[in-house]
Amino acid sequence: MTVNQEGFAVNAQQENSGSNGGVDVGQVEAMLREEGRHRAAGNTQAFLAKHAPFNKMTPAALQLFAEKAHIAFYPAGSLIVGPDSGNVRFFYLIESGKVQARQAGEVTVTEYSILSLGAGESFPIGAVTAGRPSTNIYTAVEDTFCYHLPAEDYLTLMSTSPEFNLFCTQYIASLLDQSRRQLQAQFAQKASEQQTLNSPLVGIGARNPTSVLPETPLRTALESMSQLGIGSMVVADAEQKPVGIFTRSDLLDRVVLADLPLNSPISQAMSAAPFTLNEHATAYDAMLAMATHGIRHVLVTDHHGRLSGVVSERDLFALQRVGLRQIRQAIESAPDVEALKASAADVRQLSFNMLAQGIGAEQLTQFISALNDALTRRVIQLNLENHDFSGIDWCWLAFGSEGRDEQTFSTDQDNGIVYLVPEGGDQEALKQRFLAFALDTNKDLDKVGFPLCKGNIMASNPQWCLTLDEWRAQFSKWIRTPEPVALLNATIFFDFRPLYGKSELSDSMRRHLLSQASATPIFLQAMARNALEVGPPLGKIRDFVTDLEADFPGKIDLKKYGSRIFVDVARIYALAAGVHGTNTIQRLRLSAQKMNIKGEEINAVLDGLNFIQLLRLQHQYLEGEPGRQGDNLIDPEKLNELDRRILKESFRQARKIQSRLKLDYQVNH
Amino acid sequence: MFGIKKFLFGEGPNENLPADVKAAVTTWIEGESAGLESSHFLTRYVVVDIASDGMNPESDHLTGIAATVMHQGIVSPQQSIYVDLTQSTADDAAVDRQLAAFLLFIGKSPLVSYHVAFVSTFLQQLLKKRLGIAFQPRWVDLAWLLPAMFSEKSHKPMPLDDWLTAFGLDVGEGRRSPSENNMLLARLLQMLVVRAHAKGVDNVDELIGESKASSLLRRTR
Repeated sequence: MTVNQEGFAVNAQQENSGSNGGVDVGQVEAMLREEGRHRAAGNTQAFLAKHAPFNKMTPAALQLFAEKAHIAFYPAGSLIVGPDSGNVRFFYLIESGKVQARQAGEVTVTEYSILSLGAGESFPIGAVTAGRPSTNIYTAVEDTFCYHLPAEDYLTLMSTSPEFNLFCTQYIASLLDQSRRQLQAQFAQKASEQQTLNSPLVGIGARNPTSVLPETPLRTALESMSQLGIGSMVVADAEQKPVGIFTRSDLLDRVVLADLPLNSPISQAMSAAPFTLNEHATAYDAMLAMATHGIRHVLVTDHHGRLSGVVSERDLFALQRVGLRQIRQAIESAPDVEALKASAADVRQLSFNMLAQGIGAEQLTQFISALNDALTRRVIQLNLENHDFSGIDWCWLAFGSEGRDEQTFSTDQDNGIVYLVPEGGDQEALKQRFLAFALDTNKDLDKVGFPLCKGNIMASNPQWCLTLDEWRAQFSKWIRTPEPVALLNATIFFDFRPLYGKSELSDSMRRHLLSQASATPIFLQAMARNALEVGPPLGKIRDFVTDLEADFPGKIDLKKYGSRIFVDVARIYALAAGVHGTNTIQRLRLSAQKMNIKGEEINAVLDGLNFIQLLRLQHQYLEGEPGRQGDNLIDPEKLNELDRRILKESFRQARKIQSRLKLDYQVNH
Repeated sequence: MFGIKKFLFGEGPNENLPADVKAAVTTWIEGESAGLESSHFLTRYVVVDIASDGMNPESDHLTGIAATVMHQGIVSPQQSIYVDLTQSTADDAAVDRQLAAFLLFIGKSPLVSYHVAFVSTFLQQLLKKRLGIAFQPRWVDLAWLLPAMFSEKSHKPMPLDDWLTAFGLDVGEGRRSPSENNMLLARLLQMLVVRAHAKGVDNVDELIGESKASSLLRRTR
């Protein structure tokens, strides 16, 4: 006799099965269990029918859920699942009672730190999808009944029920949204620390300024002002307490016009009792004082009344936000490259402000592109003063990320020229003129802050300064013979956009490209195979694979293993679907319509891409040193829990569109 | 303990049963309680409910038996069985085989029901008549245990729906099938064992003791 946990085993009967029509007690039991399971699922189904998204699901999907889900009771105060419970094995659905979700650890990563869940709500969707531990601690705050749907059945349901899939996708999208808002809050804080008028004076203007004693002869004071290149001199006593200030206007009024000898002590010429503020006063106080007293400098003192700084009117102006219009005007009227350099810094600052004000990655990258376009156009205009192309049709082209309107803060130049040789013109001579112009322009762009392209994809390279016919022939050649180099070039040059000059030339290139590409499936297939060579760094055991870049262990290249995947897939679909746009988001949206990809599906993909882009911007801005080129290497261990989770989901979206591409183009690796 | 069981279940199965049914019934008679029962968590409880065509076990008939397991705090439709006896007269051997299958499913696990007297009498009658066994499993009666464990809700027995309502459980509309009823009884049991543990009633034997004590106490009142 064998006994097991599930009642009695049936080995004693099996040998007799032949004698009673082939059905023995054991088999009957199995049938009765089947019937029992079916009937017992009734309660669960009745419950599910009352709650979204289950009420929209098919009877078959509900039956699956109801038969597979266990029911567990959690008395008030008991832990349901938490980070220490190991990989989440169930999808939990609350039948009755209340559950509290609390973030593990000290740092709040979402806008809520405690969330209350009630009947019909489920958790932890991200963790059960990923098969890893929950990041939140879920506790029953009231006596609670929960359905436990085992993870494998949950995944089955995800793949078989579109309604359930949508529900989970949207949930993940809402996490993305939350994280985005969280990021914005961080930016806002950093921005406000940097530049509001509420900042204390201790962080503004010159620190520990030069001062002289009251008895210092005027000549000595003037000499050091001249040496130091400063417009004013603070006069302080032996204890460093300010007693006066001597400015250039004092020099005029009280020395030159008053004919004061230069060996007189400075105290005779200074403005006595200067206006001082404690270093904990704000920039706003200083601004008010300047306006009220008609002064240009405020002396800053520490709590002993000793001089610790000087704030000038100019320091305060610098604090005020630079506006979009001012920057544009400044760019468009910039007299030289030097002035454009300052504007480029303003662009960076303004982008930062916009990031802080809550603009998403999509809009932000487009915005940066727009201002960078304005900068580039002005550089071109300035150079056209030395190079005359009147009477010639030509166009300056942007390639790569610039061509896609997806510039982040560290983007180098990718550009070229297309032109038409006028009838009877000398093509070679014209080309040389364009190359000379392009070289000057490339150098100036570098000065303004767009580094020269390491791969020499620049208009000054004879390879990329071509006539319209040459460009067309080049495109055709790449499409007809998709060798590795051709494919690599396609990923750069097929994302072109006109920046200056006759955009009709660029349109003509585009029409040629799209008609050729969509008619050459072998090319698209080769592009697809190429695009699938690098996958998202999702680990089988760990969340992320971080050893792909030998030089940077522990880091993930968010461009190479993240955004580029989306970009590459989008390009192929755009070429196949004849989408004219070059921007990845545009391409995905438009080609999705044509390729019959569901809107929700594509939105989830775009959310993934936007999140990765936002992380890149954050990394380049918050972690990069100002003025230095940021990189795309992030350490996932340094991300907070929520970001890490969403990054993983974003990579999943990358994998998802890759799988789709693989299917659509029959790529077998 | 084993001697008592032998005495209780000592009768053999009916001689005219098909061989596989007879073997299954013998297996059940000789079986012992399966697994560990040192705590509620480890005990395999089987919640049982019946459907009948009347209230009198002497004259009326069972039309269905439903059973659902609660084990390790979990109740699952996967661990359920239903014996449909509405067409029971058609083929006696088939009915006997279904009842034997029911025995195999419940094993010697403690059974849980609401108003055990009613449920157990029907089962006893049928199993005695069809399989020739004295069906005397360990019974846990929720009708008596609930007022003992949740006296703050009611200190005397109430109709089942009143208990369900008191716990905020959905009583549903219309008559519940035995299977549906079992799922609700199972939820009551899930709550009950938590409360029992809090009161120091830590295993099935103690729970049965409480059940009997409550019945005696509240009946004499």
